[in-house]
Amino acid sequence: MTEASVIGLLEATVSFGALLYLAALGEMIAEKAGILNLGVEGMMAMGAVTGFVVALHTGNPWVALAGAVAAGAAVALLHGLFTVVMGADQVVSGLSLTILGIGLAAYLGKGSVGRPAGAELSSVDWGPLSDIPWFGPVLFQQSPFVYLAVVAGVVAWFVLGRTRLGLALRAAGESASTADAAGHSVAGLRLGAVAMGGALAGAAGAYLTLSLTPQWAEGIVAGRGWIAVALVIFGAWRPGRVALGSLLFGMTLALKTRLQTFGVDFSPILLSMLPYLLTVGVLVAISIRARNRPSPAPAALGIAYRREER
Amino acid sequence: MSRPVLARRDQVLRGGQPLAFGVGLLVALVVGVVLLMGSGHDPMRVYERMFDASLGSSRAWSVTLNRAVPLGLAGLAVAVAGSMGLWNIGAEGQIMAGAIGATWVARIGEGWPGPVLVPAMLAAAVVGGGLLALGPAVARARIGVNEIITTLMLNEVALRLVQWLIHGRWKDPDSHGFPLAPMLPEQGRLPNLFERAHVGVVLAGVVIALFGLAASRTAWGYELRVAGSSGATARYAGISLQRKILTVLVVSGGVAGLAGGVELTGASDRITEGLSNGFGFAGIIVAALALMRPSGVAAVALLFGAVQIGGQSIQTMGVSSSVSTILQALILFGAIAAGVFSRYRVEMVSGDAAEAAA
Repeated sequence: MTEASVIGLLEATVSFGALLYLAALGEMIAEKAGILNLGVEGMMAMGAVTGFVVALHTGNPWVALAGAVAAGAAVALLHGLFTVVMGADQVVSGLSLTILGIGLAAYLGKGSVGRPAGAELSSVDWGPLSDIPWFGPVLFQQSPFVYLAVVAGVVAWFVLGRTRLGLALRAAGESASTADAAGHSVAGLRLGAVAMGGALAGAAGAYLTLSLTPQWAEGIVAGRGWIAVALVIFGAWRPGRVALGSLLFGMTLALKTRLQTFGVDFSPILLSMLPYLLTVGVLVAISIRARNRPSPAPAALGIAYRREER
Repeated sequence: MSRPVLARRDQVLRGGQPLAFGVGLLVALVVGVVLLMGSGHDPMRVYERMFDASLGSSRAWSVTLNRAVPLGLAGLAVAVAGSMGLWNIGAEGQIMAGAIGATWVARIGEGWPGPVLVPAMLAAAVVGGGLLALGPAVARARIGVNEIITTLMLNEVALRLVQWLIHGRWKDPDSHGFPLAPMLPEQGRLPNLFERAHVGVVLAGVVIALFGLAASRTAWGYELRVAGSSGATARYAGISLQRKILTVLVVSGGVAGLAGGVELTGASDRITEGLSNGFGFAGIIVAALALMRPSGVAAVALLFGAVQIGGQSIQTMGVSSSVSTILQALILFGAIAAGVFSRYRVEMVSGDAAEAAA
C-alpha cells in the first residue's frame, strides 16, 4: 500500500461522495416536504443525457449544467403534478418516473453514444492550497461539482433549519393541515421541494457525463440513484449525517476498483452490497428505537394532502 | 380571483378503470407519435410493425405470451401484497433470487429426468423468492420497518449476488474467462406449447386464476382486504395482523420467485445478471393499472408484453427500443390522470369562496 494509492482512494471517495450527496440532498428536501420520490434514478439519467447533449451542441459546460438542472427539475415536476396536484400514489408515480426517465434518456442520447464530450468541467485549481500534501489532491483538486455539493449542503442545512421557509417546508412534511392552517400553501411548498430535488438529481447526472466519466452511455447511472434514496434514511433526514453517509458509501464505490491494489482478498461485488445492507440495518435500528422516541422520518411522508377534504 | 379545484364526484364514473386504461394507452400512443416523428420515423409504419410483431400472427402471439408470463407473475406478486396495502418493491430482486434457487437445483440435479428436475427447479425458485422477502416481512410484521425501502434495497443485493456467483463459483470453466454460468441441461427447460410459447404460459395463467379465486371467494382473501383497509377493524374481527403481514409478503416474494424460475427454464438458457430485465418494476405498474386485482393483472400483463415485444421489433427499423419503455410509463401516467378525473371534476371557485370553504 503506497501513499499515492491511499491519496487516490481518498480523492475518489470525496468525488463519489459528492455525486451521491447531490442526489441524496435533493431526495431529502422532497421527503422533508412530505413527498417520497423514487424517480431519482430516472431524474439522474435525464440530467446526465441533457448535460452531455447540450455540451455537444454549445461547447459550454456551464450551459450544459444549467440544462441538466432544468431537465431534472422538469421531470420531477411531472411527479409533483401527479402526487401533489392529483394526489396519486407516490410509490407508483416515482417508480414510473424512473422507468420514463431511463427510457427518455436512452431515446434522447441515442445519437451521442460513444462520442467524446463536447465540454468538460475539469478540476478547479485553488493555487497554493492545491499543493498542500494530502489535503491538496483530496480536497483542492476536485471537480467543480464537489464544491457545488458542499455549497448545496450548507445552503440546505441553513434554509431547512434556520429560516421561515425551511420551517414551513418541514411543516408541510410533518403535518400538512397544520402548515395549511398557518397560512402556507402546502401544494406550492411540496412542488417547490420536488422541483429542487429534481434539479439536484439532474446536477448529479451531469456530474457523471461532464466530469466523472465524461461520456454518455445507457445505464450510466447504474443504481446510484437507489443509493441516494438509501442515504436519506441512513442519514436520518439530516444534511450533515447524509453528508457523512455519502462519504462512507462513496468510499465503498471508490474501493470497488481498488481492493486488489490494497492486497485485500475480498470480492468487490460483495463489497458493493454494503450500502444497501447498511441501510436496511439502519431502518431496523430506527424502528426499534422508535418505540421510545419519535422516528426521524417526516410524519406525513408519502401521504397526499387534499385541502378540500380536510 | 378564481382558481380551479378538484371536487369529488358524487358517483365515480362508470367503467372507470378500463376507461382510464384506454385513455392512458391513447395518451401514450399520441406522445409516441411525437417522439417517432421527432426522430424522423413514420409513426403509422412503426405502430403497424409493433402490432404485427406482437399480435399479428400465432407466432407473434406466442412470443408476446412468453413475455407476459414474467410480467403477469411479477404483477401478481405486487398485487397480492398490495391488496393488503403493503408494497413489495422487491419483485426485481426476488425474480433473481428465484433464478438462483432454480439454478442451484439444476446444478445438483444434473442427471435427473425432466419431469422431476423442472418442478424441483420451480419449487426452489418459489423458495428463493420467498426467502428474499422473509427479512422485510419479519421486520415489517414484528417491528414495523417500512417494507417499501427494505424490499427496494434487497433488489440491488440480489442482483449483486447473481453477479458474484457468475463471476465466481458458478462460472463456466469453458467460458474462456467470461463471467457466464454454464448452460442449463436440456431436461431442465420447460416444454413447448405452440410456436415459441412454453408451458409457463399455462402455469402462470393457472397461478393467477387461483389467486383471483382466493382473493374473491375465500375467507383468506376477505381477511386480506379487511386488514388492508383498516387495521383496527381487522383486530376486532380477530385477524392477526402480524401473521397476515408476514405470510402475505413471503407469498408475494414466492410468486415473484416463481416468475424468475419460469423465465429461467422457459425463456433463457442460463442465469445472467440481465435475467430480470426490469420485470419487477414493470410488475408494479401492471399491478397498479390492474388496481391490485389478479384478473386485471393478466390483461394488463398481456398488453405490456405486446408493447415490449413490439418495441424490440422496431429496432430493425432503426427506432430505439427505448420508445417502448417510454410508452409503458406513459400508459400508467395517462391512466392515473384519467382515474383522477373519473373520481373528481374540475370546478372553478372564486378566491373568496375557496377561503371560506377552507
